[in-house]
Amino acid sequence: MNNNDVIIRVRNMTKNFKLYYDKPNTLKERLVFWNKKSEERTVLKNINLDIKKGETVALIGVNGSGKSTLLKLMTKIIYPTKGKITIKGKLTSLLELGAGFHPDFTGRENIYFNASIFGLTKKEINNRLNDIIEFSELGELIDSPVRTYSSGMYMRLAFSVAINVDAEILLIDEILAVGDQHFQDKCFEKLEELKNSDKTIVIVTHDLNAVKKLCTRAVWINQGEVRMDGNPKEVIEEYLKVCD
Amino acid sequence: MFKELFTYRELLKTSVSKEIRGKYKGSFLGVLWSFVNPLLQTIIYSIVFSILLKNDMEHYTTFIVIGVLSWTWFTTSISGGTNCIIVNGGIIKKVYFPREILPISIVTSGMINYLISCLIILIFLAVTGIGYSLNMLYLPLIMIVQYVLQLGILFMTSSVNAYIRDAEYIVNFFVNMLFYATPILYASSMFGRFANILKLNPMTTIIDSYRNIFYYQTSPNFTSLAIVFIVSLLVLVLGYAIFKKLEKGFAEEV
Repeated sequence: MNNNDVIIRVRNMTKNFKLYYDKPNTLKERLVFWNKKSEERTVLKNINLDIKKGETVALIGVNGSGKSTLLKLMTKIIYPTKGKITIKGKLTSLLELGAGFHPDFTGRENIYFNASIFGLTKKEINNRLNDIIEFSELGELIDSPVRTYSSGMYMRLAFSVAINVDAEILLIDEILAVGDQHFQDKCFEKLEELKNSDKTIVIVTHDLNAVKKLCTRAVWINQGEVRMDGNPKEVIEEYLKVCD
Repeated sequence: MFKELFTYRELLKTSVSKEIRGKYKGSFLGVLWSFVNPLLQTIIYSIVFSILLKNDMEHYTTFIVIGVLSWTWFTTSISGGTNCIIVNGGIIKKVYFPREILPISIVTSGMINYLISCLIILIFLAVTGIGYSLNMLYLPLIMIVQYVLQLGILFMTSSVNAYIRDAEYIVNFFVNMLFYATPILYASSMFGRFANILKLNPMTTIIDSYRNIFYYQTSPNFTSLAIVFIVSLLVLVLGYAIFKKLEKGFAEEV
């Protein structure tokens, strides 16, 4: 295996979350309960994972197994307690759609806000503007304030921005369920297209059929540890055995 | 740090404009409120101090408007900005972007408001007949000092506030108190030999400098301004270090 191809490298990574029964947010609480012990819960235990350029990897596992936490660690929203994560290249996370949307501004203005959060410059956004608007299928509504949108329209716009950012690495958390059947199919096609253009995609989902169709590799995470890693079909087979 | 901020320059720009326009969106006067507020404040002070308290300083309204506008920039940055990490908790938990953009855009949008509100000062100078002088060209210099000072303080207060929510209220109290310990409604010279104590407050030198270039039409006291600038730089370095240390926990704390 050529080391240079590894685009996401996770080494001996452990993540603990502090568990408070009642989180001390104020000074008074901190002073009064200074000796209150907070429990630590290990969400991810000693994870080692290499993801190569061009791979489409699915993270599967039951709720609470730490899949989403792993994605959040990759985007640098949270930081590991121990160990290290190295990322090469531009990364976009579709963890949360519509981050930074301002309801009083129009769809068009919000495209600028949202895309700039992903680190795009004005010029880059201008180049993509038509693609984004076209993909969202919002038509003339793009110049209406976002608060007048239905929730489906809101998600469509958000998804269109995120998917057109053109990053080398895409992290996707459970968002294939956006919009109606027609839009879902379209998103799926777009993901296929991105996959074929040598992008690296890491996806968290419970839609096992989508995993089989789309992914080249599946990683099963169970109770904070990598249980199995390999061909999607085999991993899913084993996973389903345990689930049943 | 600068490289990443450069990559995210568009985000910085949009969040500054969101800060300026979004704040008053939906209100009838819109952005004008940023200027109406300090103006009304000035009018009240000038009624209280020149009519009720019989202050006979010449052009007293012009004298205080210079202080009030600079102070408005200070309070909107520090009191208004300390909760910026918590207010933006939603995006912080969901997307990665350089977190320092939040405090930077608060101080920057305040700066733009201040710069525009300098028009009010110019109008006062014209109407009262004080007139203009070339010393006004020192304006950017003083603004840089104030910018650096405020950014440094805001880095500290906003990051600490993510962990201890009381910080916001403590900061508000101090800012309110500091209003009286800053020569906004009075001249620092009125304090006689205690004026030096007043100088421990960096805003004293900054507001005195604005007054020098606008009201007294002299150059600022460069020695004092240089000292305050060095102090402000130290505050900025320290503040940034604290911010960087604390930012790793933002997503889990907010």
